[in-house]
Amino acid sequence: MSFFGFDDNNLENDRQRFLRGEQPNNQPIPEYTWGAEGYDGLGDALQEGGDDLNDETFGGSGPVGKDFDFSGTSGQPEYQSAENQHPAPHNELKYHDPLLGPPSQHQQQSAPKGIPPNSLESLWDDKSPFSALPRTSSRASPGYGSPIGYNRLESPSQGMNRNGMRNAGDLDGEIRILAQQNREREMAAQRQILLQQQQQQEEYLLRQQEQELRLREREQQQQNYLQEQERRRYLLQQEQMRQQELQQRDLRHDLMRQRERELLQQQQYQQQTRTPPPRMLASPSPRFLEHQRQMQIIQYQQERQQALRVQELQEQVRMENLERQMRAQQIGGHQRQLSNHTMAELQAAQAQLERRQRSQSPAARLPLGEGLHYVPQQPRTLADITQSDMLRDLGGTPAEQETLRMEAMRKIVEAEKLEEKRRRRAAKIAHMSRYNDLMTQSDKDFITRIQVSQLVTQDPYADDFYAQAYSQIMRSRMGLPGHDERVLKFGAGGGIGLGVAPKGNHRRQSAMQKMQQQVERIVNNARRREEEKGMHSLHSLQGALGKTSGRSYKAAPRQLLQVDPNASTSPSLAHATAHISKQDAADDAARPKEDAGAEAARLGREALGDAAHATDFVNRDPLTQKEALHTLEDIHDLVLRAEQLKQEEPPEEDEEQYVAWDIEYSAIVDKMWLTVKVMAPIATSDPHPFISLLMPMKGKRVLLRLARHFTNQQMLTMLTLLVACYSQLDVVRTSAILDTLEDTKERAEVERQLHTFLATVLQVIVSVVSNASLRLITGLLGLLLDKNDVPTLAQTEAGLSVITVLLARVEVIKQSLSTLTEEEMPTPDDASQWQMMYDHMFELLTPVFPLLFPSTRMLTRGYQLPPSNPVIDALDRPAWQFLATFALHAAPEQQPILVQSLREKVLENVISAKKGWVADEEERAAKLANVDLFLQALGLSSALIEP
Amino acid sequence: MLIFSVFKTLTDQQVTVELKNDLSITGVLKSVDQFLNIRLDNIQVLDAARHPHMMAVKNCFIRGSVVRYVQLPAEHVDTQLLEDATRREAANPSKR
Repeated sequence: MSFFGFDDNNLENDRQRFLRGEQPNNQPIPEYTWGAEGYDGLGDALQEGGDDLNDETFGGSGPVGKDFDFSGTSGQPEYQSAENQHPAPHNELKYHDPLLGPPSQHQQQSAPKGIPPNSLESLWDDKSPFSALPRTSSRASPGYGSPIGYNRLESPSQGMNRNGMRNAGDLDGEIRILAQQNREREMAAQRQILLQQQQQQEEYLLRQQEQELRLREREQQQQNYLQEQERRRYLLQQEQMRQQELQQRDLRHDLMRQRERELLQQQQYQQQTRTPPPRMLASPSPRFLEHQRQMQIIQYQQERQQALRVQELQEQVRMENLERQMRAQQIGGHQRQLSNHTMAELQAAQAQLERRQRSQSPAARLPLGEGLHYVPQQPRTLADITQSDMLRDLGGTPAEQETLRMEAMRKIVEAEKLEEKRRRRAAKIAHMSRYNDLMTQSDKDFITRIQVSQLVTQDPYADDFYAQAYSQIMRSRMGLPGHDERVLKFGAGGGIGLGVAPKGNHRRQSAMQKMQQQVERIVNNARRREEEKGMHSLHSLQGALGKTSGRSYKAAPRQLLQVDPNASTSPSLAHATAHISKQDAADDAARPKEDAGAEAARLGREALGDAAHATDFVNRDPLTQKEALHTLEDIHDLVLRAEQLKQEEPPEEDEEQYVAWDIEYSAIVDKMWLTVKVMAPIATSDPHPFISLLMPMKGKRVLLRLARHFTNQQMLTMLTLLVACYSQLDVVRTSAILDTLEDTKERAEVERQLHTFLATVLQVIVSVVSNASLRLITGLLGLLLDKNDVPTLAQTEAGLSVITVLLARVEVIKQSLSTLTEEEMPTPDDASQWQMMYDHMFELLTPVFPLLFPSTRMLTRGYQLPPSNPVIDALDRPAWQFLATFALHAAPEQQPILVQSLREKVLENVISAKKGWVADEEERAAKLANVDLFLQALGLSSALIEP
Repeated sequence: MLIFSVFKTLTDQQVTVELKNDLSITGVLKSVDQFLNIRLDNIQVLDAARHPHMMAVKNCFIRGSVVRYVQLPAEHVDTQLLEDATRREAANPSKR
């Protein structure tokens, strides 16, 4: 703190010495002689000036008002103790000495006011570094900036702080009381309080300034005093004066710095966290109260400042969040509602966060909408505080608050997570956006055009057949209006199959439209170029993006099977065998020649007048499986062609086209009819070629599709053949395997075939029979009985089923006699014919009635049936159904025979069901249902049977 | 075009694509084009432990030429219709 190397202790030392009563006279006064020996010349380096404001600073500018005098005039005891250090009489004396000179000006002004000159100082005396210095340190000036002074200044205020908190609580209480009143009034009151506080603070600041001023004055007075002392006792030399002045300057300089520091301190102090300071004993002195009040104000303002800062930060965060949300809304296209909801949530969470941070005001519920309208920051904080206080008063246990807090935490965490996710997504998008616009839209269009143009075909439906048919099937299965080709067509021929209809995807639909336009354009362009060049211009784009055909792919493995499609004479066989082998193809090619040879032999025999010449009879080998499959492939091709033609059927009004179509279609159907070989004589082979065709699974399946194209007459012919050759069917021949219980592959295969047969071939039979007359049924039954071994046939499910179908149709005819027209009405002759046929069948079946049941058949084969097996009941069900239908037609004298032969079976079922041997309720019900099915046909019921 | 047509009906279905590098990827078929390039979503690699580099991959575009097999969901393929479609294609030699 030395200035230009002077020892600035001098003044203080002097003062100390003076205070001790030492006579400065006794000490040698250092003489500063400029220009003399030992003079360092520093005096010339001094800069004089900057004293313009001295008057203002030291009160020389005019009368000083009294308005800063808040503490009154009363002398304080504390002051006295401090005052003691300054010998007051001396002070008074020196101050009033007219010889003193200019520095006493202010003193003279303040003295007439009747205020003890030190009364104001005393207020701050005990805290002032100046007054403290003599006690703590012998060094005067360095104390200004020393930590000691700082602490001294701070510690009382810390004490106040503590007290201030208590008072803040009181204030809180006040506010609470107010909160129960009208809110607006309360707001006004709050604002008033705030205003008052602001005023008070201003006053406080003013006073502080005043006090600083006074401090400076006192400092000066001290200096003056010392100066006076020295002047009175010695004649002051100029050098000494200079020194004094220098010291004064020094002090002034220090004062300025001190002021700065004080301001800084104040700021720091206000920013300090509110750590609970040691409790200070509250003294009831008015000055203390005044202090307290001031400190309270400070503290309140600090609190408010902090709250404001927190709120500002939160506001900022909230705004950021909102902004982000808005951005997310724009980017992600979030639902506005949802986002609003989230916003509200966020705000609620934030409000709770705020409340949590404001530790003094306990958390309370804030309405969600609170945060939505903008409230100026300051009043809003107060409003929040008061409102939360009010709500706290109204209710809200700590538990509820805790849950609320937890909820808020959860929401915050959720929001954070969402935010994090969004940010990551945005970052990714930003990262990927590097590649944006790498291709222009026209580039993309160009590529799309090329790509799509390769999809354009002459027959889009056929080329996209699978997808088209599949989507149609799916649609019909879902009960939607079907038959709508998802095909883009361009003018005459050409188009693209679109595959499965999109599920209401607008984006995709618009993309489709766009593509359609593009493709139309390219197709039209291609046409034009074609006309210009006279060549197929699409070739120019062929392979532009690669090749669709895998065969031309160079890395493809070399084909091991080199098949020449022209090796076979039969084009239809060619493609079928193409993938098998060349050898096969050769065999197939040879076969027709053999047939031709056989044919020639037949012709020769006919020419020789062979016995068989009357019929078109060639006893030949049955179709091999391969032959059957080949034939079936031919049939499939025909069926597909027929189906396609059926779809393209032109309206009958368009005669010309219709006739042309009809001719084509009829030709296909005729070819089909020939291919199924129904017209081959029954005795051609065993099995009949047609039956052979029904053996493979796909043969059974294709029958349903064939049936749609054949006429009724053709179908009847087919049915007649089928019934005549029924026992040749694979499902009849292999049915014995079903009477075993072994779970073998063969059995599974037979079962599968049977199920397919019942679902396809039998359905075809049912559809034909359902329109048949009684006479036809009689004829069919007669044929069945004539050509097949009915007792054996009846022991197969397929056989049993077909007889049941015939019998059921007769029953339907019998029941609907009244509604039938004249033509349909069976003649009595027909009826008697039928009865005759039935009686014949009854006779044939009587010995095997029990054997109709698979369960019985299994027993006779020596299988030990499990006592309760739902599978067995299911197997027996067709038999029961047959017997029920059969019994309906039974004459009164036939019924006892029927019952007699089935008595055991019926009883067995009923007893096992009723005696509870069967554990499973479902099975019991099935057993009884089976029996009742039969008994009810006879007018009986299982309920009548008492076990 | 047949297989393309078939794949068109399988969009949004779960398929397993076996690649020629023995990688087997199961995922939801998003799209195919005429080169049988395949776009899969939500993918899962068979034997993921052997292919750690695929762990983070969630969707992919597979060039058609690197596909060895595609395992189709049986319930979404109409075998008979597929047979018919094959016959149609076979009956029309120009398309081969």
